[in-house]
Amino acid sequence: MEILDALMAGFATAITPANLLWALVGCALGTAVGVLPGIGPAVAVAMLLPITAKVEVTASMIFFAGIYYGAMYGGSTTSILLNTPGETASMVTAMEGNKMAKSGRAGAALATAAIGSFVAGTIATVVVTLFAPSVAEFAVKLGPPEYFMLMVLAFTTVSAVLGQSRLRGMTALFIGLAAGCIGMDQISGAARYTGGKMELLDGIDIVLVAVGLFAVAEVLYAALYEGRVKDTQNRMGRVHMTRLDWKRSIPAWLRGTVIGTPFGCIPAGGTEIPTFLSYAAEKKLAKGDNKAEFGRQGAIEGVAGPEAANNATVTAALIPLLTLGIPTSNTTAVLLGAFQNYGINPGPQLFTTSATLVWALIASLYIGNLMLLVLNLPMVGLWVKLLKIPKPQLYAGILIFATVGAYGMRQSAFDLFLLYGIGVLGVLMRRFDFPTAPVVVGMILGPLAEAQMRNAVSIGEGSWLIFLQRPMSLALIVIVLAVLIVPRLLQRRGRG
Amino acid sequence: MTDPSPPVSSDISDSSPAGTIPGVHLQTAVGAGVLLVAAGLAFGALGIPGDAGYGGVGPNFLPWVCALVLAVCGAWLVWEARSGGYRAMAEPSGGDRADWSAAVWVSAGLLLNAALITTLGFILSCTLCYVLAVQGLRRAAGQPQARAPRTWGVDVITGLCISAPVFWVFTQFLAINLPGLTDTGWL
Repeated sequence: MEILDALMAGFATAITPANLLWALVGCALGTAVGVLPGIGPAVAVAMLLPITAKVEVTASMIFFAGIYYGAMYGGSTTSILLNTPGETASMVTAMEGNKMAKSGRAGAALATAAIGSFVAGTIATVVVTLFAPSVAEFAVKLGPPEYFMLMVLAFTTVSAVLGQSRLRGMTALFIGLAAGCIGMDQISGAARYTGGKMELLDGIDIVLVAVGLFAVAEVLYAALYEGRVKDTQNRMGRVHMTRLDWKRSIPAWLRGTVIGTPFGCIPAGGTEIPTFLSYAAEKKLAKGDNKAEFGRQGAIEGVAGPEAANNATVTAALIPLLTLGIPTSNTTAVLLGAFQNYGINPGPQLFTTSATLVWALIASLYIGNLMLLVLNLPMVGLWVKLLKIPKPQLYAGILIFATVGAYGMRQSAFDLFLLYGIGVLGVLMRRFDFPTAPVVVGMILGPLAEAQMRNAVSIGEGSWLIFLQRPMSLALIVIVLAVLIVPRLLQRRGRG
Repeated sequence: MTDPSPPVSSDISDSSPAGTIPGVHLQTAVGAGVLLVAAGLAFGALGIPGDAGYGGVGPNFLPWVCALVLAVCGAWLVWEARSGGYRAMAEPSGGDRADWSAAVWVSAGLLLNAALITTLGFILSCTLCYVLAVQGLRRAAGQPQARAPRTWGVDVITGLCISAPVFWVFTQFLAINLPGLTDTGWL
């Protein structure tokens, strides 16, 4: 009952005309960003972070959240029609969705993706509504040792489980952690790695790293390597699902949601695993003619399931972000940066200290999902037109927005040089297949984890045994080790 | 669940031709670069006070951890490169050969923008960045009309049409400080 009252109060805040407008602009912008190649939700939010200086916190968080899940809807449109998945999350959609589009069923694929996203997003929002408060209540009991180990768990999964190589993931993570060290140490006030430059005393802004690694690197990479790549676009049919399509989609949406939601809830991040799991499940469960469609004409279940799993994960990922302050993806890391700009540290206290903000944000998720369904179903043709923008102009235009984000944050031309340097680093990382998410997550979570670690060791009066003496923290250590070791054992057994 | 990224690359590679994986020497160089970063971090860590206060962990602890771990990672990367190349590499997207001249155009746009933004103001500086970057990208795409004066003209106007409204929206509506050529707030 308490939750329902709080949610209603949230709706009251979220449906003020100004906030509704922010949500609508966010959803539209997010869809555009998802549709356009070369720019993703993390970088879009990062570029717009300077607005946190002026726009009121609830409005801007509603706006950013709109971009965050709007991009998921838009991303599927591109991967179905263009065959170049904008982000890892839509890779699976690209596999079956593109096959469907090639055999003239683009409309059905787009419809099942959009409706599936809506169904999964809404169910996952209900889960967030019901469970986030209790997770927050539980999280209040956690002390620095437990928090530190939770963050270590997030680091481990983001660097070791996702991506191809543990070594390159670890390298990326520690580069991020080192970048997070730059600036004034928050406990002792000692300057670290500033080289006497005043500009570096405040540290490197998350905007610079996100915009540099994703936007600038993308443009440089396109100029260096992708000039001659020609995209082929599939023809779009009428956006319509037959009765049989519905019959095949509905169970797939629900299964996708069930697979995706738990993956979002745990601080383990990433949409790759749930979307692939959902795809594998659908392929396994399909029978007869439907099974034969997989990989040939494209099976609708192969789009419906993974899309639902994707959106469920992304929505449920707000639980660790809001209740523990732990981001598990690039975009949630940047969202955490947005909260920090307001001097708000997401964590268990958020639900008591900023109850209005949190509940308005959750209410806006319901509203946003509905808006996105309308934006993406009848109006999909409009978004597809965005794909007609020629690449050179689009990519050069992105640089203008990158300048706004990077310069607008601190009004320093020095940052623009730094932005270029980070862009070059991003090109190297992409060419040599280093994952970028660990850099961003390491950089934003690193200083928080360091503070928790130092507080924990202080509590232990200088002894590191504190991490082993507390049952929760010990359990987390075991989980971290399991995450590191079990996949390797399974792999070995699979081979042997 | 052990290997979360199975058959995608082979399935979607038909429209985005993959480049070849960079050679062993380049891989070694990247590993050596990581070692260099580690050395730099260690050198910097020498200058950070280690006073731990009540804790036992001072401000120089994490920098040392980063330096050591990156040293191990760098050495390991060099070893992998020398013994058959990085493991489990995905083929990078795009062509085999880098189009350096295109990258020079884009880089010039970005760096000149950084150097001139405070003197020229946001609109003109960003337009310059746009024009140079789009020129590089057009050449990369092999557009024959890239060098034509008409294309340059169109690009200048497009650049102005993007950067001016962006400047106005951000400075007038969102009150974000962006540098202008004049103090009027419109240029």
